[in-house]
Amino acid sequence: MVESKHKWKAWLYLAPAIALLLVFTVWPIFNTLRMAFWEDYSIMKDLGGRLDFKFGIKNFVKVINYQGFKDCLVNTLLLTVLTVPISTLLALLIAVCLNAIKPLQRLLQTIFFLPYVTNSIAIGMVFEAMFNIVGYKTPEESIGIINTVLGVFGVDPINWINAGSSYWANIAVLVIYIVWNALPFKILILLGGLQSINKQYYDAAKIDSTPRVRVFTKITVPLLSPMLAYVVITGFIGGFKEYSSIVGIFGDDMQAVGGESLNTMVGYIYDALGNQEGRASAAALILFAIIFVVTMINLYVSKKKTHY
Amino acid sequence: MKVVLQNLTKIFPSRNKKANEEVVAVNDFTFEIPDGKLIGLLGPSGCGKSTTLYMISGLQKPSGGRIFFGDDDVTELSAENRGVGLVFQNYALYPHMTVKQNILFPLQNLKGEDKLEKDVMLDRAYQAAKLVQIDELMERKPSELSGGQQQRVAIARALVKMPKVLLLDEPLSNLDARLRLQTREEIRRIQKETGITTIFVTHDQEEAMSISDMIVVMKLGVVQQIGAPQDVYDDPTNLFVAKFLGTPPINVFEGEVKAGKLYLDDVAVLDVPGVEDQPVYAGIRPEGFIPDAFGPMICNLSGVDVMGRDVSLVTTHPASLNPVVRSIVDADAAKNATGLTVSYSLKPHKVFLFNKETEARVYFEVK
Amino acid sequence: MTNQATLTEKNIQKVSSHQKVVKIIVQALLYAFLGIMALIIVFPFYWMIISSLKSTPEYRLAVPTLFPKEIMWGNYAEAFTAANLGRLFLNTVIVGVVSTVLSLVITVLSAFAFARLEFKGKNTLFAALLATMMIPGELFTITNYVTVTKFGWIDRYVVLIVPFLVSVFYIYLLRQNFMQIPNELYLAAKVDGTTDLKYLWKVMIPLSLPTLISITILKMMGAWNSYVWPRLVTTKDNMRLITNGLRDAFTDMSGQANIPVQMAAVTVVSIPLFLVFIFLRKYIMKGVSRSGIKG
Repeated sequence: MVESKHKWKAWLYLAPAIALLLVFTVWPIFNTLRMAFWEDYSIMKDLGGRLDFKFGIKNFVKVINYQGFKDCLVNTLLLTVLTVPISTLLALLIAVCLNAIKPLQRLLQTIFFLPYVTNSIAIGMVFEAMFNIVGYKTPEESIGIINTVLGVFGVDPINWINAGSSYWANIAVLVIYIVWNALPFKILILLGGLQSINKQYYDAAKIDSTPRVRVFTKITVPLLSPMLAYVVITGFIGGFKEYSSIVGIFGDDMQAVGGESLNTMVGYIYDALGNQEGRASAAALILFAIIFVVTMINLYVSKKKTHY
Repeated sequence: MKVVLQNLTKIFPSRNKKANEEVVAVNDFTFEIPDGKLIGLLGPSGCGKSTTLYMISGLQKPSGGRIFFGDDDVTELSAENRGVGLVFQNYALYPHMTVKQNILFPLQNLKGEDKLEKDVMLDRAYQAAKLVQIDELMERKPSELSGGQQQRVAIARALVKMPKVLLLDEPLSNLDARLRLQTREEIRRIQKETGITTIFVTHDQEEAMSISDMIVVMKLGVVQQIGAPQDVYDDPTNLFVAKFLGTPPINVFEGEVKAGKLYLDDVAVLDVPGVEDQPVYAGIRPEGFIPDAFGPMICNLSGVDVMGRDVSLVTTHPASLNPVVRSIVDADAAKNATGLTVSYSLKPHKVFLFNKETEARVYFEVK
Repeated sequence: MTNQATLTEKNIQKVSSHQKVVKIIVQALLYAFLGIMALIIVFPFYWMIISSLKSTPEYRLAVPTLFPKEIMWGNYAEAFTAANLGRLFLNTVIVGVVSTVLSLVITVLSAFAFARLEFKGKNTLFAALLATMMIPGELFTITNYVTVTKFGWIDRYVVLIVPFLVSVFYIYLLRQNFMQIPNELYLAAKVDGTTDLKYLWKVMIPLSLPTLISITILKMMGAWNSYVWPRLVTTKDNMRLITNGLRDAFTDMSGQANIPVQMAAVTVVSIPLFLVFIFLRKYIMKGVSRSGIKG
């Protein structure tokens, strides 16, 4: 009697979650698959009552052959391949340094976490302002604070993001912003990992006159490898889904005026919504496949390299 | 290599800054450890024995005093430059390296003219492994070893670079009772074979007594007594040392010396010539009691513990500071102990008197 | 023997002074590096705030000033009207509060069922939920966009709230927390005749408060920072959220944009996040280190 009452209650507690998950999580899994294989599906046709879509892989073929998608893929890969190693190494360096100091450690730790609690669109606009050249032609006007600072070191002003700026200058700005944005999470995780390493290993290394570099490569990095793997894997996943940082700096157009498009895969998917849901679904599945494969490779490698 | 500690002092600043209380972990420790000896630093937890060890290793800096290895003043040298071997209480074996890699690690750190060829390193690593009898386990990871095996790896790692001084921090505390007995013999054997000056820290007096050439008894940062284990046991300088050494522990009584006689509960139990009249603590070792029907000291018998060859008589006495008074007597003598009381005479050299205020030893002439 | 065995007295002095110098240099380098990095991290915030207080001519000076000569509070008033921040702020608060409260209720009930109640298929169901966490959100977004269009939810608050009410991750987090509470407490409460709901309210929720606070903060931050979904499912500007207004109001890339006003708007959006961070840092960092999910 009590038992059956229990079971009934459990489902009651779960009902709201399950109902919402069925509509907004489970159904999308099937429907996105279906839409991806419905040739030229769009919601307009769907709402108009046209449901005689042919079944096939035309969406995938179109997406893959479409130059815009290839550009998005290249941009995404480029940003991921550049930002993940840079941000991971920098975060590791900062975390190790933070772990080696005593006074001011907490203050610095808090400062390094600050970028996490920001709105990536809002701070993207700040970066836009910092790289922006206000009045390039007249010497009385600002060439942007970044160029001003670089000028101190004798670097000529660079057209980072304004009209006529080069693709690589745009990418450089994005890499700087994405790395800046990615550091806090990585530092938090890595510092947590470092602090959980038993201090005795370092004492033992000291007794054995181990040089600093060797302590780092032979003790710190191996003992930190699970955390490093975690940070790299989440970094890759985040990298492939890069979108709002670019909107933050370059706006909805996702390009400098007259420049090359900086759109990413996620951006491509969103742009296709509204008239090309079939292709959006196909692109999303391709993105999922890439993330899945890369994550599996990462896991495989890290299993071989990590030590626990 | 002899190790000399000169007025060694360590003061830890108080954690609570407002209270401004400093903790003196080690206070004015002076001692010369002869070359090639095995020294046990002994004391209850918090007595400063581990701090002393860490100062010798260089991992902690003394607040005052000097440390010499041989004739060299190494006080200012950090751990990296001292060339000591240290076995940590929890072994601190690198979990991601095999036993072999762990043992090789210190050798790979040598540079300059001390740099070794690869096969020489391997050779040395296997020698060290053989010495502690783990050469079969070289390819295993520490997590695949038992506690005793990990302990041996830790010792091999400390020995492989042929340290001037070997330091062991509570080396046996993580082992079970049987393994502990076995391993302490092992440590003794390895120390004898290598002849390396060895200092080890323990809170277990039995352990220290059984293998050390000399023991140092510490309490609250202050050295109480230094000497060969048997000497310290037979001739403690104060009440603390007397109480700390020996199982079963020494029996302590409140008493008084009057006219060259020791009175316990107003009964004269022993002649103590040469002692001024004063209130004292009297410590009597369990083996200092001789059952004697005409003995002056009468205790109430409450039980008999048979321990094989010997028998421990559990008694009470009104002047005793402990709940029970234990004596160890041979089994034959114990057969007579059947009544409500038991009478003893005392072995004078097993009785120690201590000043009641300073708790320092008060010596009397033993005939 | 090792190198140390050959130490002479002179040698020792050399080594010990050498190691002191090395130590000081290393510490100095550490602080220098960390200081420079910290400066780089903080600089955008500093630049945002001082720029928001400058006049346009001052902002455009070739030699930038590090502090505004004349503080222009008017930039903030202008920002509010230019980006319609007032209305969007209201939208964001409504969406944030309602979705956080509903989400907490749903999360607590589900976590309780998974942690404390026995029913058929519990483990299978839970495993299935966890499996959905591997799928990138963009995959759901497409169909959800189609679904809400069909529901006719476009341009209504409901579209900004309902689709994201259930987070499998939060259920997972809270369930783990609930599981740590000893089962004996639950059985004891049952013996005393306490109902499930009362037990949940009186024992489990107070004991898991830190996790609930973490969830609340992250959920609120999510609403505050959301950009993509509101842009997709709203056609009217005044139904969007604060981040949308921020980006949409200032898209002039001609170099002539009024950047101080823009920075004022950015500051307005950033300040609440900073305040939350300053006061609730512990919960945020704890929640983040376990999740790695932004917002």
